[in-house]
Amino acid sequence: MGGGFRVLHLVRPFLSFLPEVQTADRKVPFREKVIYTVISLFIFLVCSQLPLYGIHSTTGADPFYWMRVILASNRGTVMELGITPIVTSGLVMQLLAGSKIIEVDNNVREDRALLNGAQKLLGILIAVGEAVAYVLSGMYGSVGQLGVGNAILIIIQLCFAGIIVICLDELLQKGYGLGSGISLFIATNICENIIWKAFSPTTINSGRGAEFEGAVIALFHLLITRTDKVRALREAFYRQNLPNVTNLLATVLIFLIVIYFQGFRVVLPVRSKNARGQQGSYPIKLFYTSNMPIILQSALVSNLYFISQLLHRKYSGNFFVDLLGKWKESEYGGGQSVPVGGIAYYITAPSSLADMAANPFHALFYLVFMLSACALFSKTWIEVSGSSAKDVAKQLKEQQMVMPGHRESNLQKELNRYIPTAAAFGGICIGALTVLADFMGAIGSGTGILLAVTIIYQYFETFEKERASELGFFGF
Amino acid sequence: MDAIDSVFDPLREFAKDSVRLVKRCHKPDRKEFSKVAVRTAIGFVVMGFVGFFVKLIFIPINNIIVGSG
Repeated sequence: MGGGFRVLHLVRPFLSFLPEVQTADRKVPFREKVIYTVISLFIFLVCSQLPLYGIHSTTGADPFYWMRVILASNRGTVMELGITPIVTSGLVMQLLAGSKIIEVDNNVREDRALLNGAQKLLGILIAVGEAVAYVLSGMYGSVGQLGVGNAILIIIQLCFAGIIVICLDELLQKGYGLGSGISLFIATNICENIIWKAFSPTTINSGRGAEFEGAVIALFHLLITRTDKVRALREAFYRQNLPNVTNLLATVLIFLIVIYFQGFRVVLPVRSKNARGQQGSYPIKLFYTSNMPIILQSALVSNLYFISQLLHRKYSGNFFVDLLGKWKESEYGGGQSVPVGGIAYYITAPSSLADMAANPFHALFYLVFMLSACALFSKTWIEVSGSSAKDVAKQLKEQQMVMPGHRESNLQKELNRYIPTAAAFGGICIGALTVLADFMGAIGSGTGILLAVTIIYQYFETFEKERASELGFFGF
Repeated sequence: MDAIDSVFDPLREFAKDSVRLVKRCHKPDRKEFSKVAVRTAIGFVVMGFVGFFVKLIFIPINNIIVGSG
């Protein structure tokens, strides 16, 4: 339909201003891809450690504490926004395109370019918006304390970092690297977090004197310095408020469980109508939507937390605000707030068995919420992301693929027997694993571990494909 | 009773579908599982330590930067 005005055309004037990475015009060798990927990762990691210039303090309560792991952001650094701008704009564009609010014909080159431009533009706008919101909300001390100059400086730094992340991701996506930058940054952030908690040389003063933060370091330190080995061992395994060996073991266990379930798949035989009936297969994984349900569920919860804390700070005592969530300072310090009432409380994981016993309704509500939310998000996601039975059937048809023993018109029906169930049930499994991980006290949160493992798994699949095609050329 | 059935029927149907799906699934054997586990663990550790060392290096650097700031 060339006649009607189209929303995407609004983006056209901006295209020339947006920073853009040229699509790779030649086949980039595998080794070069690895190098680009590593360099991008390094740039991201360095930005994650550079402190922001001009901030007055970061000691206030951190409203984004709950989602920093997932969004690869680090408090008080240039990478404060993490990948939020690009993830948010990606999700928004996906939803708009998938639900047909924006008409996109993927067969038209211009439409794809406009869509990419729109997503990038939206990402930049979100970065600006978030940076301003951070400063005005007093995250780095009140604006009065900062001064207008420093406030503007901080905003510029955050926006610049946001744009860097957008460009790095585009670099990797455009064929110069392996997989997507977003996944790479999330996974690395989570892995770093876990390794840090296991091996951190940082010492923290607690009631028992100085202790190492890292669980493994603490284990050896306690065994060496304590005369009572049994008590030392028990403390290393069960100490409170700092990472301990039990947390580490729980993390490993969740890791193994996730890998096992990753391997579950229904393999449907497919055959090409051309190429002399070349045989193949189309696998439908149990984790059909991969880690998407947990990302969406976490985003939902995090936003609810943010809104609830904001309202609580300003209007505590109001009935509806309290219904949404009541907060108080965490007794363990660190400036974190913890929900103690309202909806926010009930969708937070119980912190212990004792907590569950004290309030069984809380535990039950949390469980049902987690499983339902993941299942619903998973089922919804296949529709908006173009991986529903109908979409898959269409793709296979376009590739001239048929399923032996089934007429072409029955292809969608056959896929419908598996895909919606795999999506919903897979979502439930993801939710259950997250709950299990959190309950066992795994380091990095259940959400984080699931994300990291599924992302690394995908990386190895990509790795395998790349190498397979490369081996034909160079035998790398 | 009809109301309860209208709620539980979809759930029962879903449970049945899920069970059938799991039975139909190809499940990884020991060899396949350990291969994937080892490779993923390696990826995990490599990524983790890259981040770990960058962080380790930046602690003194940040102390210098923030100290002079």
